Amino acid sequence: MTAPAALLRKRLESPPARAGRRRPRASEQLAGWAFVTPGVAIILLFGAVPIVWSAVMSFQRNNLLTGKTPYVGLRNYRLMLHDPVVAQAVQHTFVYTALFVPGTMIVGLFLAVAMNRKIRFISFYRTAAYATMAISTISEAIVFIWLFDPSYGVVNYFLSLVGIPPQQFLNSPSQALYVIVAMTIWGWTGFAVVIYLAALQGVPQMLVDAAAVDGASKWTTFRRVTLPLLSPASLFLAVWLTINALQLFDEVFLSTQGGPLNATTVLVYYLYEQAFVNFNFGYASAIAYFLFLIILVVTAIQFRVGRRFTYYRS
Amino acid sequence: MAWIRGGNEDGMRTHWLGVAAASCVVALGLAACGSDASSGGSGGGHTISIWEGWTGAEAKAFAHLVSVYQKQNPGTTVSSLYVNNDNTLQKVLTAVRGGSPPDIAYLYGSWAPNVAQIPQVVNLTKVVQGPGVNWNDFWVGERDVATVNGKVIGIPALVDNLAVVYNKTLFAQAGLAPPGPGWTWQQFVADAAKLTNPAKKQFGTAYVTPGSEDTVWHWEVLLWEAGGQILKPGNKQAAFGSPAGLQALTTLRQMAVTNHSMYLDPTDSAYANLFNSGKIGMLVTGPWDLSAFPNVHDGVQIMPAFPGTSGGHQTISGPDNWVIFNNGASQTAAAEKFLLWLTAPAQVKYWSLATGDLPIRRSVAAPSFLQAMNKSLPGVDTFVTNLGNVHQARPQIASYPKVSQIIGNMVVSVLLGKSQPQAALNSAAQQVNQALAASNG
Amino acid sequence: MTASAQALPRRRFRLPFSPWHLVLVPATVALLFPFVWLIVTSVETPAEALHFPPILIPHELHLANYPNALAAAPFGRFFLNSTVVAVTTVLSNLVLCSLAGYAFARLRFLGRGLLFAVIMTTLMVPFQVTMIPQFIITKWLGVHVLAQVGINHIGALILPNAATAFGIFFLRQFFKTLPIEYEESARVDGASRLKVLWRIVLPLSVPALATLAALTFLDSWNNFLWPLIVVTSTDKMTLPLGLATFQGAHSTEWTLLMAANVMSLAPMLLIFFAAQRYFIRSVAATGLAGT
Repeated sequence: MTAPAALLRKRLESPPARAGRRRPRASEQLAGWAFVTPGVAIILLFGAVPIVWSAVMSFQRNNLLTGKTPYVGLRNYRLMLHDPVVAQAVQHTFVYTALFVPGTMIVGLFLAVAMNRKIRFISFYRTAAYATMAISTISEAIVFIWLFDPSYGVVNYFLSLVGIPPQQFLNSPSQALYVIVAMTIWGWTGFAVVIYLAALQGVPQMLVDAAAVDGASKWTTFRRVTLPLLSPASLFLAVWLTINALQLFDEVFLSTQGGPLNATTVLVYYLYEQAFVNFNFGYASAIAYFLFLIILVVTAIQFRVGRRFTYYRS
Repeated sequence: MAWIRGGNEDGMRTHWLGVAAASCVVALGLAACGSDASSGGSGGGHTISIWEGWTGAEAKAFAHLVSVYQKQNPGTTVSSLYVNNDNTLQKVLTAVRGGSPPDIAYLYGSWAPNVAQIPQVVNLTKVVQGPGVNWNDFWVGERDVATVNGKVIGIPALVDNLAVVYNKTLFAQAGLAPPGPGWTWQQFVADAAKLTNPAKKQFGTAYVTPGSEDTVWHWEVLLWEAGGQILKPGNKQAAFGSPAGLQALTTLRQMAVTNHSMYLDPTDSAYANLFNSGKIGMLVTGPWDLSAFPNVHDGVQIMPAFPGTSGGHQTISGPDNWVIFNNGASQTAAAEKFLLWLTAPAQVKYWSLATGDLPIRRSVAAPSFLQAMNKSLPGVDTFVTNLGNVHQARPQIASYPKVSQIIGNMVVSVLLGKSQPQAALNSAAQQVNQALAASNG
Repeated sequence: MTASAQALPRRRFRLPFSPWHLVLVPATVALLFPFVWLIVTSVETPAEALHFPPILIPHELHLANYPNALAAAPFGRFFLNSTVVAVTTVLSNLVLCSLAGYAFARLRFLGRGLLFAVIMTTLMVPFQVTMIPQFIITKWLGVHVLAQVGINHIGALILPNAATAFGIFFLRQFFKTLPIEYEESARVDGASRLKVLWRIVLPLSVPALATLAALTFLDSWNNFLWPLIVVTSTDKMTLPLGLATFQGAHSTEWTLLMAANVMSLAPMLLIFFAAQRYFIRSVAATGLAGT
């Protein structure tokens, strides 16, 4: 017998003494606030206050140097509308996110399902997946730069085996972004695997077995039983990966530095450049706020759509 | 931690783990608190805080010099903190805004025109004219970069320049004579073609193409040597859209696009290791790379010239500065005293011998001294001599980063075969004019 | 006896191993490839490490890189600092995010939706922009509230991450998937909400808590930018800052960097390897079977 079940039985055997004196609504209010306050206070102090602060900065001219920060109204936002690189960066950011998020979720789900069984070396496989998260981005970048090197890389070697001519990859403005997509999917696969593995523990084997008894194929069972039960985890992953993808920076910084010809300039990389290379911190803050709005809208849509498709058992 | 108390077998195991983890935290927390109490408190003397990015031999040499200084100046402590040079700007700007800058920071020379606008940065104009400093003993390239609008805001920390490092073995295999001091870009292009061997995946030369300042300054040497300028006097308009600019761009294009003799490195990371692996014949690079080529026999030659132009043999230098931040008069005085000692001839001599870095003072670079340096790092003497070919600096203006980005994209688009040199030049010059007009207005 | 072994007799063509290995072995090779490079580089000579394409089979094991890396900087101190920060951060996240995540998942209180939305928005502005305000707040806290959480204190590396929006969001999602009947029964029984959380919900959530612990540990252990900004003396440095000391402006000591990197990775992987049976707990063991 297991703990919660035992506890439950014990409790059910001895009827509640004070049940009649409970005042659910008020106490629930109080408990809710009491539970969230410590954590939320920290997040608001270190998260929300700086966000309001940088909102103010987006209406200022601020080079971080002189200490003078005159208000310029909407000037930074107007500049942004006429900046062709911002338009390019928005496009790259969206293309990247649209490929990276589903790509990572599909690879992660597939591997998590493969690893959700008791076979030999399974601890090793799972640790390998987790390990991709632990490795530093710089090591990851160095290895991918090598793999995709046009002259010496392994990828072009494999392509040549099947008769495809060598590609320019990071040297090609039309391919570089896709190499970054591949690199980051690799880097985040472990994360998706770990999340899906945790969620798969909540799928009752009984339901899966029952479907099998009813004659459903494994694929049908997966699609009709497992996948819906994983939907809260999928929503979580979709939101989390999207928030991170729209703020891509490290991999670009460590490999292409936004090039070639701005082909991998995404919004956060561009605002970093504006802040710490061109010393336009006010402008960088405005771009950050523009990005904030994008993320807010995308995330809100995800939650809205998610609510319709997410299956919570409660 | 009630979540640990499951009650079943697994719960017992987690319980045990939880106790272990909790006791670890308490123990480690106590250890950390203990150290918190011990920090701070500078006593009677001065503690100079300095943020530097030295690694390897440079880190050892710096620690040695600091200990010597502390022995000679009892009561003064030099507290140095390693900050990767690439990260220093972010850390310094944050600290300045938070009101707690260090006393001294190592900052890239390319940041100087912007750093000069920080009110806390100490004006060193009078300090460097003081007795015994001998400011003119620093190379002209260094003084140019430490000076913004006539105000000295830094003391030279490191100097370098670009020259050609070539693989002697590959030259011999191709039946080529090693480059001589009077060589030309035409020879460079021809040699690069002959050194290229697609079957062996061997390239004549390489170029870094992320479009960053590293892409740009390599091209700027060619521009100067062809007799061109980056901006017109007054720094209000582009000057590189000239026949000289075209010649510089066309020369690179011929190798990258026409001859395929140039390995393009979009990440600025693989080229040095490729050279060290005998896959590249010649590299235009700086003295820092010499120690990265242990596996090949390499020689160093000054940059080739464009015959028939006024440019001659030139190079570009990217010096870095020590910058002092005002934390009160006595702190500033202590910081100045330390830096002047650190950059005095005796210490410069020690530094260059220990690290292979080029001497930051002319007087130190005597022929006998260069021979001594060359013993441990063959070819470094050419880089020192080449400092004499530094005739100009990049424009010392706050909007240079913007100019650099435009030129970077121009060079990359030509090297990738995406645009023709003349069209790229015209478009870039126009963009630079607009950017300069916007920043002036 | 494994599940797949039980299934074997029913099959006509037998593999001597589970067919899933055919998927997992190539996937693992691809996932571990950068690790192979990392470990190989950590035992190479500098001359070998300066090759391109990289050498994957060094001539001899140059193990001296490990003691040399350790001697290059006070790594014992960095290791201790990182451990204190990571372990404290993990424990406080488990407690604070469990409480908040449960409230957001189960309790109805005024402002719940708005508060959750606000917490999520803190994830949507890049650190490059909020870094300076965070620094100023931290400095202010150190001067006016508690010195131990101010600039250049270990506490400043812990407090801003002591509770994370990630942890709250993650646990909220997980708690929502649990069947509510147990909690309702216990409530009827008179158990307080805290007791329900501790006695019923959290024991059911061990895989999620273990996952959160592992991810939080990893995040804290690898955090670079915030320590870079806040730490101003060597004795407060964490491992990632220590690793950066091998990367100069123009040259990187690759062999030492990778040796130190392997040593920094080892605790993360060992902890995961040891704890991963808690990630994967059969449904029967958590008492969920049959619901």
